[in-house]
Amino acid sequence: MNIEDIQQLTQYIIDEQPHIVVDKEICRSCDHRACVQSCPANCFTWNEETSLLSVVYETCLECGTCYVVCDKSALDWTYPRGGYGVNYRLT
Amino acid sequence: MAQYFDVIVVGAGPAGSMAALKLARDGLNVCLLERGRQPGAKNMFGGLLHNTPALNETIPSFWEKAPLQRHVHTKILAFMTPESAVSLTFENENFDRPPYNGYTVLRPAFDSWLADEAVKAGALLLCDCTAEDLIVKDGQVIGVTVKGREGELRANIVIAADGVLSFLAEKAGQRKDLRPADMGIGIKLLLGLSEETINERFHLVRDQGADIAFLGIPEGIRGGSFLYTNRDSLSVGMVMHLDSLKKSGRVPYDVLEELLQHSQVRKLVKGAVPLEYSAHLVPEGGIKAVPRVYTDGMMLVGDAAGLCYTNGINLEGINLAMTSGALAAETAIKAVESHDYSAAMLSLYKKKLDESFILKDMKKFKKSVDMMHIDRLYKTYPQVLAGIMEKIYKIDGTPRTKILNLARREALREIGLKDVITDGIKIGRALL
Repeated sequence: MNIEDIQQLTQYIIDEQPHIVVDKEICRSCDHRACVQSCPANCFTWNEETSLLSVVYETCLECGTCYVVCDKSALDWTYPRGGYGVNYRLT
Repeated sequence: MAQYFDVIVVGAGPAGSMAALKLARDGLNVCLLERGRQPGAKNMFGGLLHNTPALNETIPSFWEKAPLQRHVHTKILAFMTPESAVSLTFENENFDRPPYNGYTVLRPAFDSWLADEAVKAGALLLCDCTAEDLIVKDGQVIGVTVKGREGELRANIVIAADGVLSFLAEKAGQRKDLRPADMGIGIKLLLGLSEETINERFHLVRDQGADIAFLGIPEGIRGGSFLYTNRDSLSVGMVMHLDSLKKSGRVPYDVLEELLQHSQVRKLVKGAVPLEYSAHLVPEGGIKAVPRVYTDGMMLVGDAAGLCYTNGINLEGINLAMTSGALAAETAIKAVESHDYSAAMLSLYKKKLDESFILKDMKKFKKSVDMMHIDRLYKTYPQVLAGIMEKIYKIDGTPRTKILNLARREALREIGLKDVITDGIKIGRALL
């Protein structure tokens, strides 16, 4: 069983408005970047060369892990607009 | 869009739909808001709907009507190390007849069914609506603003059933800090497997189901794993304390892989096909993390109120959620009768929670939250247990040791005497 691909099984209705916005300046000086490691959907990537944190909000499972582990107030995190975002069909 | 209701319920999960159902049955004008395309679209849990008398009282013989998967007949508790498993199986004929002790359930189907019951009773269900903010006048909550279908909705009472992150509780200044140590992250993979294979593999007949809890996986993280049998699928996943996951430096995918690759689990999921991946937070802070559950014009129910009970063996939330929804509805009915929506009136809801099993259990087992933070519980003790069992069974021509000496030696090799005693006291205080 290859679990690298499991996230493709989950359906999303993608909004053009992001519901997660990071403050790249705060993230640059963060000493743990726990969001990158803890997110169950791998939404966060830290680029060592550019010292930039990037977010892919489109595959967010809306669990709130990043929102809870971020202790630098660097995340502007809300639920997506009604009808958008993750759309569980089976679970 | 500006409409007026007796009560607005935010969130069509188990707590919210139960509240809306009770209110609509009583003839109140109720609006049930859901941010997903349909109820359950945003919801996941491990998979067990525990026996909930409040549900059975509201919908008698609900097990004949609700979209349930299997009733839980076989309970297995397994202590795991990377090489071994020590497990305890409990089967009871009483769990094999109504009212069943619990069911495996898939949330999009179950949550849609319960919300539909509320609609049939007269509630207005509005999907695609994220409640964004509260409308407050003179300190009294009088409605919500909606993101999705832009507009305002007004009511005498708002019931916030908006889940573990409850942004409405936050807007009202009610929400407590969401501490990583008080939060569990649940991740789950739904795996398709034929009904026949599941019955054979887990020794089940008819609608019988199995619930397996694995302690010791993931290794070195405070948490546990689960496997539940649905009709023709398996729910496999884990719940971990967020602070412990963070400290471990491991990524959730890697931890899920560890579970699926464990020799004991691999044979149970062999041939199964991944169907859907999901994640959700669990409020595991216990009674100390429960906020004030009412204010002027508003009540908090279910996960939004932090209602979750755990003692390390059981993890209950959905039954607490539905029951709290029913109690909030009873309170709202009284408030509407007396045209009094003040905090003083709505404090009746807190009184009802105090008198119910919900807060009684959470208070009685308040120390189990500390117990659950003993790191050794998740790695060292399963190792000690497996070590004892291995030495009991192993035959290699060397002289044997009596069991008590064996246990003492195994325990003290892994853990110091002081820690064994401290842990024993903590566990004793929590559970005995």
